Amino acid sequence: MPYKENRALLVSFYVAIGLFSLICLVPFVLAVSGSLSTEAKIAADGYSLLPRGFTLDTYRFMFSSKTEQIVRGYANSVMVTVLGTACSVLVTTAYAYVITAKGFRYRNFFAFLAYFTMLFSGGTLPWYILSTKYYHLDDTLAGLFIPYLLNVFLMYLQANYFRSIPHEVVESAQMDGAGHIKIFFRIMLPLGQVGLVTISLFYALQFWNDFYLPLMLVTDEKLFTIQYMMYYMMANIQFLASGNAARIGGAIVAPPLETAKLAMTCLTVLPIAVLYPFLQRYFVRGIIVGSVKG
Amino acid sequence: MVKTKCWATLLPATLLLLAACSNGNTNEPSGSASNAASPSGTASASANDGGSSASGLAPAKLTIVLYGDESDRMKELTKSKFQDIVKQEINAELEFQFLPWSEYGGGKTDLMLSTGEDFAAYTDSNYMAKSVAKGLYADLTPYMDGAAAADMKKTVDDNSFKAFQLSGKQYAVPVGNKPNSAEFYSVLVRQDLLEEVGMSSVSSLAELEQFYEKVHAAHPELIGYAGTDARRMLMYEYTDKNLYWLNDFLAIDESAQDDKIISWFETDEFKAYAGIMREWYEKGIVPKYAATNQPQLTSDWNSGKAMFWAGTAARPFEGAAAISQAVPTAKLVNYFLNRDLPKISRGTYSTAWFVSANAADPERYVMFFNLLQKNQELYDLFAYGIEGEDYTLDANGRMTRTATDELIPDWLMMNKNFMRFDTSVPDDFIATYKAWDDDAIISKAAGFTFDNSPVKNEETKINGVFSEFLTPVSSGFVDFDKNYPKAMEKLKAAGFDKYMAEYQKQFSEWYASQSHSQ
Repeated sequence: MPYKENRALLVSFYVAIGLFSLICLVPFVLAVSGSLSTEAKIAADGYSLLPRGFTLDTYRFMFSSKTEQIVRGYANSVMVTVLGTACSVLVTTAYAYVITAKGFRYRNFFAFLAYFTMLFSGGTLPWYILSTKYYHLDDTLAGLFIPYLLNVFLMYLQANYFRSIPHEVVESAQMDGAGHIKIFFRIMLPLGQVGLVTISLFYALQFWNDFYLPLMLVTDEKLFTIQYMMYYMMANIQFLASGNAARIGGAIVAPPLETAKLAMTCLTVLPIAVLYPFLQRYFVRGIIVGSVKG
Repeated sequence: MVKTKCWATLLPATLLLLAACSNGNTNEPSGSASNAASPSGTASASANDGGSSASGLAPAKLTIVLYGDESDRMKELTKSKFQDIVKQEINAELEFQFLPWSEYGGGKTDLMLSTGEDFAAYTDSNYMAKSVAKGLYADLTPYMDGAAAADMKKTVDDNSFKAFQLSGKQYAVPVGNKPNSAEFYSVLVRQDLLEEVGMSSVSSLAELEQFYEKVHAAHPELIGYAGTDARRMLMYEYTDKNLYWLNDFLAIDESAQDDKIISWFETDEFKAYAGIMREWYEKGIVPKYAATNQPQLTSDWNSGKAMFWAGTAARPFEGAAAISQAVPTAKLVNYFLNRDLPKISRGTYSTAWFVSANAADPERYVMFFNLLQKNQELYDLFAYGIEGEDYTLDANGRMTRTATDELIPDWLMMNKNFMRFDTSVPDDFIATYKAWDDDAIISKAAGFTFDNSPVKNEETKINGVFSEFLTPVSSGFVDFDKNYPKAMEKLKAAGFDKYMAEYQKQFSEWYASQSHSQ
């Protein structure tokens, strides 16, 4: 009997989720179908769920004129995400370990130091001067992830995971002669895996989606990430559509073709859409493994 | 002990990386800052190509910021021909830096100015006033009368230079010289449709509406007016004044010799105008979806689905390119409705270049701006590229562009002394275009910039009221009698009177300081 109840419930859940997914899918389908339509039909009749006047010309055009840029953009994005996530996880966990280590006298001071930056920051201008004039991060690949290496919130999150590890484990390791490096890499990191997975996910998303650092620090087109290329295009379109363009001498600048815009969207999104289901499995597994162990 | 050794390795490693963190506050200048000074003096030019006019000039480096997309051809030419010419003419190394439009007049441009980078970009009178107040623009006055600016003084209108002066000092150098009086005061009509229904021209509101009705009967799928604001093109119908709008709320009367600011929404003229728009909306001349989907109107126009639009001097041939893709037979002509007053011009410039206050050699920048508008040869190169590769010329100097990539943007360069027309543009169009400004007057407000800082809050609020309550009334989307009183009440409550008083005060002061002799 409870089985039947469950089944009814299950069916209604599936229907609800199904409907919801369909709604989520609509904009995506519109983008895909738009990118496969001819420009004239889109201008005349608007978007539709099925391509109007099916053609691959837009993609042909994109790949004939922008292949190099797109491929380079991807390569940069991947590089920044991988390097950035690896480095920032290392920095974050190391800092989290330090401020949770019982034997370290100044741990509260360093905890406060990090916390302070959550409340007060110098603002954009000093940051920009520091990054460009002192650290020379402008127009370098390192500039695309170094400024984001330590996210204080995630550091505290990781510190909480470390705190939940019984201190006795650390003590017994110390008795066996393990130093901090050994404890950190062999005990804390494996036991703090749950947190590690979480913050890696956050960092990876942050790096993949970031367009602010390229906007601020990069002018060399060779270092543009795919997100920044996307942002660049959208920013131009929005500016022109907002009527601000009238402020400067009646600038009439032809916006990019509607279909090209959509094709660019598809090219940016598609690989992630393809990859995500696989990645997600690992994330979920990692969290479950961690939770049982913890 | 082992313990301490470990701290010694772990902590510094962490801190070192943290120091570079975005909100890290450990800002001891650990790196050597000595060589971090501005790149101004970096003279990387080793071999002087020895151009004729460049002799005697020390090598310099120029960074020009442009907004929008950089085309592939632009990249190529910058590295080759542009570099060579600039090197040869003024012994400077040229670099273009492209930023997204969102960074225009703020954003990264502001950051670059505030941190004292050495560059030039374009500006408008509002942004100029703000930046000059903060001391971010270089004063270019000393270079304006010398050889550096000599050529463009001849090819760019004198009034354009005045428009970018603040208290007698030149803070930006105008670029472009194109007829642009009476922007949006004319009706741009689809002449092909007009002739199809047996009419030849349009010279009054009645004829315009007649045109709509006849075409509507023949082609019910077409919309009438592809816009929601027609106050300028209809002006000659509803008033005897020669109104010039300073912004959405305020206007001045160019036919009166005074400094009076008119509150547009409180005039009888506005009521008359809103009445016409209401009729247009009800008749369907302005389509019903205009209220919610304005961008659709522009694409309707571009795809040949509208009968008329607001006109400018250049639109008959600028717009024809887009429409003729959808309707190959389309022909566009400007008409004025009952015009008996002079056209008003804000100046013939497209925009103006500023130079950052920290620039090592502002004069060299001025020389570069001068190059852009020096002669036909250089103009052709910077605007169109290389003859034979990017375009061809016929015997009459008409141009056929073989490459579509944009170089230094067309709208920015446009100078009537040099600009070239496509082979498809009829001769009479060009004649009309060149003579467009002949009977125009320069607005008495040209060169005035309003400093909005005393009434910033009020301005934000009234802008909100404008889009929420006043636009629907003025475009005729809602009934006038029911909605107008409420909209005005909201406008007053938002502090419009204070805003207007401040505007009037500043304008009167400025007006009095000018010696007006039109």
